[in-house]
Amino acid sequence: MSDTAATLTQDRQKLEMAALSAPAVAFTVAMIAFPVVYTIWLGFQTFSSTGKQSFAGLTNYSKLISDVEFWHGLWVTIALFVLSLVLQLVFGVWLALVLFHAKRLPGIVRSLFISPFMMPPVVAGMMWLVILDPSLGAANYILQAFGLPPSDWLASPTWVIPTVALIDSWQWTPYVALIVLGGLQSLPPSVYEAAQIDGASPFKTFQRITLPLLLPTIVTAAILRSVDLLRFFDIIYITTQGGPGNASNTLNIYGFRVGFEFFDIGYASALMLTLTAIVFGAVMAFNRLRGAVAW
Amino acid sequence: MKARMLATRVALPVLAIAAVSAQAHAADFDWMKFKGKTVTFLANNNPVSQALLTYKVDFEKLTGMTLKVDGYQEQQMRQRLVTVMNANSDEVDVFMTLPSREGEQFAAAGWYGDLTAMAKDAVAKDYDASGLSQALVKAATFGGKLTSMPMNLEGPIFYYRTDIFKKCGIEAPKTIKDVEAAAEKIKTCDSTVTPFVSRGLKPAIAYTFSNVLHNVGGSYIANGKSNLCSAKAKDALDTYSRLLRDFGPPGVVNYSFQQISALYRGGRAAMAFESSNELRTVMEGGARLKDTGLLPFPAGDAGQVPTTIGWGMAVSSHSKQPDAAWYFVQWATSPEVQKKMALQGIAPPRPAVANDPEYRKWIDEEPVRKEWQAALDVLATKGSSEVGYPIVANPQSREFIGQAVQDLILKQKTVDQACADADKALDALIALN
Repeated sequence: MSDTAATLTQDRQKLEMAALSAPAVAFTVAMIAFPVVYTIWLGFQTFSSTGKQSFAGLTNYSKLISDVEFWHGLWVTIALFVLSLVLQLVFGVWLALVLFHAKRLPGIVRSLFISPFMMPPVVAGMMWLVILDPSLGAANYILQAFGLPPSDWLASPTWVIPTVALIDSWQWTPYVALIVLGGLQSLPPSVYEAAQIDGASPFKTFQRITLPLLLPTIVTAAILRSVDLLRFFDIIYITTQGGPGNASNTLNIYGFRVGFEFFDIGYASALMLTLTAIVFGAVMAFNRLRGAVAW
Repeated sequence: MKARMLATRVALPVLAIAAVSAQAHAADFDWMKFKGKTVTFLANNNPVSQALLTYKVDFEKLTGMTLKVDGYQEQQMRQRLVTVMNANSDEVDVFMTLPSREGEQFAAAGWYGDLTAMAKDAVAKDYDASGLSQALVKAATFGGKLTSMPMNLEGPIFYYRTDIFKKCGIEAPKTIKDVEAAAEKIKTCDSTVTPFVSRGLKPAIAYTFSNVLHNVGGSYIANGKSNLCSAKAKDALDTYSRLLRDFGPPGVVNYSFQQISALYRGGRAAMAFESSNELRTVMEGGARLKDTGLLPFPAGDAGQVPTTIGWGMAVSSHSKQPDAAWYFVQWATSPEVQKKMALQGIAPPRPAVANDPEYRKWIDEEPVRKEWQAALDVLATKGSSEVGYPIVANPQSREFIGQAVQDLILKQKTVDQACADADKALDALIALN
């Protein structure tokens, strides 16, 4: 077969492959693109409380700037994000180290350690709602058994954010630990052998070798958790619905209420697109960080 | 005189023709008319729909139709409805609605099918539309259109522990002041129980608070402006929040019906102000059956103006088979089905059912049921369906009422600050109406 004929056959094969995969590609693109484009379009519409719709230009976005609830929601979202992420990374690394070194730990114990993140968030929320109930819950019973004062937990405007962060960290720390454990298992043993020969203490080994080598893995875990944490919804919806008052009203909860309880779908779309932009920004920032710490 | 005679001469035959025509319609009525069709029902998974759907098979047998039930918790049901209706979809034929909450809003959005003609003409002989609580029918009529048919009658009522009251030497409260005095006494007499509990969760507060507001003689709107800073409304805000702050359980700001019922049923509260619908839940296990008294909420300066609402069944304006959908609504709100539901503890919106011998026998079986029905009778005769502001954005108005009460429970504002902030936000909402 001549070169020209072979090229023609190859081109034909490529065309056939493209034609065959086109419907699946088009379907996938449509499934991703349509909701995004539709939400962008909705963000330029205004809906009266009776659902009547009209074009509003950038009104929804200018409303964001003067909306006290939006800024409060943003603050709550960031506070929860920072607090939860720090807790989950610190305890996730610690748990991974425990699981890595305790090699004789029975399988059932290892499974128990990682079981919380397999639980649906709604179940976790319900469970903690009962445990933390100030009147009937076990948490205050235990505190009082040790002579400590009871807490209002989720019912206190001061403590609600730390409490929600604790619930989320209880659930997702094992997930971070699993990622970090994978990273620990892939570290080259030769570096540790060299450190041992040089007489480095366990703390120095952790500080100078393990942690720097683990940073790319930790940043990957941070990226994965950031996306979820900035979209925090289910546990808050189950436990506090944004309360007491507005103390745990994240942007996601606020957007949900504006859209589905007050029927202002246009403003809710603008809120959610702003949140999406924040999530993208955070992911890009962490991605850059990952590039910087890669080895 | 001549004019009156003429009117009589004209009116009488018209009325006679109308009566004959209605009878003819009823006689023509055929339950099997829509045999083979499928009706989709978007249900709030609450005790009312649970009781109704026990008889789903009966409906399917009677009509030859298939009933497809799409059931959710209340908030998720509304979320689904908003999505379906905004998409002008015919996925839902019949949905449950609370006219006191979303009636104005849904009616203005055109989501309700008009049931006026169907309720008059397309009815079976024994339907008796006029036998339904006319107050509830009126509450479901917007712009002259009947938008839903009442499924039940409910409202917050006052549950109290007769044994604790006896132990502490307290009489059943007759006024709001008595409730506060009783709470004070119970606090010192029995420290193991929470003296008083009611709704403290922000969006849920308006349901119980409205009763207190109306009892003290307050109103939500005066001269087109929000009225929470009037002397009476401030008194209601102060009283309701003080009862919860000083005598309620810790964490009451997260309390809605689930927590209140659990606390009272578990014997941890001496007084609870909660929905009449919760009777079945509160009595589960039988621990509270013999030591509970029930009353409408005690009187304030304006007497007793209980909150009385009811779930309704509406036909979607986007339904492609409103006539078949109406058959389901009619069956579900018929005297026969409402009597069966009543025997499961769902207060009937038909006075005739409430007086039915079989139902009365069920009521007479337990003293607590008698008190429950007596309280419901007061709700039916004296009730107001105003829960939150009577405006299109009623659901949003409840947020601001709840915020004001929570600010007071949590001592974050004074009464003057809380009512002023709420009035400012609510005036803006009223202006949008």
